[in-house]
Amino acid sequence: MSTQVVDHSALKVNQTGIVTTVLVAFIGSAFYRPMLVLIPLLAVVLLLGTFVPRLALFKQFYFKVLKPRGIVRPRPVPDRPEPHNFAQGLGGVFLVVASAFLLPVPVIGLALALLVAVLAFVNLAFGYCLGCQIYFQLGKRGLIRA
Amino acid sequence: MSSYLWALAVAGAVVVAAACLEVLRSRRARLQAVGTTAEPASEPYILYFTGDGCTVCRTHQEPALARLGTVRIDKVDAIAERTLADRFHVYTLPTTVVMSPEGRALNVNYGYATAPKLERQLAEARGARIQAATA
Repeated sequence: MSTQVVDHSALKVNQTGIVTTVLVAFIGSAFYRPMLVLIPLLAVVLLLGTFVPRLALFKQFYFKVLKPRGIVRPRPVPDRPEPHNFAQGLGGVFLVVASAFLLPVPVIGLALALLVAVLAFVNLAFGYCLGCQIYFQLGKRGLIRA
Repeated sequence: MSSYLWALAVAGAVVVAAACLEVLRSRRARLQAVGTTAEPASEPYILYFTGDGCTVCRTHQEPALARLGTVRIDKVDAIAERTLADRFHVYTLPTTVVMSPEGRALNVNYGYATAPKLERQLAEARGARIQAATA
């Protein structure tokens, strides 16, 4: 349970990316249906980023572009990356389920994608990370090693 | 287009339902926790439940607690001290409990509690103590 340093600006950029992508997919697909493909793509991005952090698209955009150019300032905080990775993975799983429903039952698919965006926004704006709380609760019950 | 409106309605309904459940759960847990005892002290003090994975604890709650000055703060790892955390129905982190010197839970704050809020609760706890002593 060692505490490391987590750059919270990278997390914020990641959450902003999630909210923006879902909103673009939602609004854009109302006019141009193929825009819905952004949702399964976002699911892939989130799941890849969870298991292979160097492939986390939004975080890499922050580390390679935004941070070096001083567009976003780093905010290192003593923290553990695992709960945030878990939350990201959970978002990815929800988006996979959303993607499966997008064509047969679009209401469920879109609603699930919107919920992921709402939770990312709540984390971005208020610092409340539901995925981190679930991680904590699972750890408390001994279901994962938290 | 109607599926988009329905999706918005479904997502909105889920968010509202979750918020209502959270409020109910919080109230219930607060009622259950009040009256639980802990180690006694000479002044009102704070039990502070935290955990390694709690970011808000570090970025918000700990600076707020530091602003309280010389108040005794008992930091509790909610995962390591599961029995104590369960006694106070801790379901989210951070959780702060304002305790009377006799070890009675006076206020339970689930989630981030601001310094002014904690100061007010501590002042109430001290006031109640003075009232009881003079009565």
